[in-house]
Amino acid sequence: MSSQEDESAGGGSEPAEPSSSPSTEIGTTSGDIITVTIGATVPTGFEHTAAEEIKEKIGVDARISKDRGRVFFPITTDKLFQVHLLRSVDNLFVVVEEYHHYQFKESKEETLMELQQLASTLPWTNALEVWKQNGTLKKKKGHRRGGNTAKSKPNCEGVGGSMASTEQQELPQENSAPEGWAGDTQAMETSTQDSDETGHGSKLIKFRVTCNRAGDKHSFSSNEAARDFGGAVQEFFQWKADMTKFDIEVLLNIHNEEVVIGIALTEESLHRRNISHFGPTTLRSTLCYGMLRLCKPQASDIILDPMCGTGAIPLEGAIEFNHSFYVAGDNNDMAVNRTVNNICHIQKRRADKGSMSGLPIDTVQWDLCSLPIRTSSVDIIITDMPFGKRMGSRKKNWDLYPSCLREMARVCRPGSGKAVLLTQDKKCFSKAISRMGGLWRKQHTVWVNVGGLHAGVYLLKRTGAVFVKLEDAFCVCLQFTSELILNWLQI
Amino acid sequence: MKLLTHNMLTSHVKGVTKGYPLLIKATEVKVNEVEFNPQFVSRMIPKLEWSALVQAAEELGHRQDLPGELVADYETNEEFLKKVHRILLEVEVLEGCLQCPESGREFPISRGIPNMLLNEDEA
Repeated sequence: MSSQEDESAGGGSEPAEPSSSPSTEIGTTSGDIITVTIGATVPTGFEHTAAEEIKEKIGVDARISKDRGRVFFPITTDKLFQVHLLRSVDNLFVVVEEYHHYQFKESKEETLMELQQLASTLPWTNALEVWKQNGTLKKKKGHRRGGNTAKSKPNCEGVGGSMASTEQQELPQENSAPEGWAGDTQAMETSTQDSDETGHGSKLIKFRVTCNRAGDKHSFSSNEAARDFGGAVQEFFQWKADMTKFDIEVLLNIHNEEVVIGIALTEESLHRRNISHFGPTTLRSTLCYGMLRLCKPQASDIILDPMCGTGAIPLEGAIEFNHSFYVAGDNNDMAVNRTVNNICHIQKRRADKGSMSGLPIDTVQWDLCSLPIRTSSVDIIITDMPFGKRMGSRKKNWDLYPSCLREMARVCRPGSGKAVLLTQDKKCFSKAISRMGGLWRKQHTVWVNVGGLHAGVYLLKRTGAVFVKLEDAFCVCLQFTSELILNWLQI
Repeated sequence: MKLLTHNMLTSHVKGVTKGYPLLIKATEVKVNEVEFNPQFVSRMIPKLEWSALVQAAEELGHRQDLPGELVADYETNEEFLKKVHRILLEVEVLEGCLQCPESGREFPISRGIPNMLLNEDEA
């Protein structure tokens, strides 16, 4: 079918392994192509990057949610496999229903009751069809149409008037970061329901509910919501609850008044895809991808990561933007060895799949304050600078940042060169840049969240100013001054 | 270590002014397969120090018939580009060392990783 067609939309990049082969085995009973909305979680700060990638590889416009770190886009089921080509997303899910202005009831009891009633009224069909196509089960277990009586479907469409103020200031006000990822369905584990096979001899479906809740006006916790909603889902579908070995993961995301119910399409987060040998501060591949997109690598660009750690950034580049060349460097023995191990792991994986394994990347052990690299020979520098929390220290940063920024300016091509630098120590960084004598110019900054720390990704341009070594500058000054004095004396 | 990387590496021992190019003494060399991209090669050539590349290829015994000077119109000469592609990306030094041409200081290469760290007194 058409789903077998070109994966070339990504322009020479290697497709990620889809969690299933597209569509050939499904009982597409209807054979109809349906359109669904897919939700994706992305590193906060890179929502626009993800939207760009979605436009490029899938050809649709993505909508960025008010709840940071999420984007939504429509897709037809025949193109479903394309979502697995996306490199900027951590997790994917298919939307069952979205409420933008959900009116919660006053009391906890009423709210939870309403959530329970919701379960049987939601439009599950299409989402389940997509989940199935995406791959775990061959046969869909039939679900009972609710014999439940008149449920007033809770108001979803904008009532406009009354709810004027929606809490937009998320950061200071938020009650909690998403809670309840684990232990949502504790009540559900002790399910009294026996395995309940209906006629077809099909496998009993196991599921869990994961609830993410943020906002300070809710009367309930994510655990409670997951428990009650999950209970109703189980009742409705006659599935079995299982926290760990589940076939279907139902997502209940509540962010202030925005409620999204979805079904997960990715089993484990995609963000660790390249790295098999981790270090203490390995960066998510999705974040690496976002940083790389920011600097727009061109064909034959020479791209350096002078503090590569486990090599996450250059490795992602060598796979996704493979028309450039990457040199990964670090001073630490373990780091360079881990980098080489990670590269070998990917190359072996490629060889096993029958493609040419060699990647455009090399590893060197060096001191970044004294790089053994020819002046002005590098096009892009991209790196994750020590934050001073898990690695290094704030005090060390005061010395480290200026010297490494100078050295980076030296090797970077004047006029055309760029740098993309991630750091949490924003104060030290800004000060170091301003003292650089006009070698770097800040072009753009993306604010991100890395392991709970608020950090910045700075895009810098290397100005046309020629790099002059300190000793040379001193000699020039001395000569100039002495000439001046001589002139004065002769008058 | 690929020869493209070697083309950028230079000795930074204190006091050295002619630390480029580093001499290669290889004890183990491997040839990999890397996908050929003619645009990549032709755009990379102007960024290289051509004579250093030829010298390095010579030292590894992989020069074959790479010319000492760049041919005109190399951008469209696919055969030539393929040769350059091979020497830039496919030939790798796994074990050996790099030597500073002025001071003689040796930088070891192990598992394909050149160790360019200097001792305290050399920096």
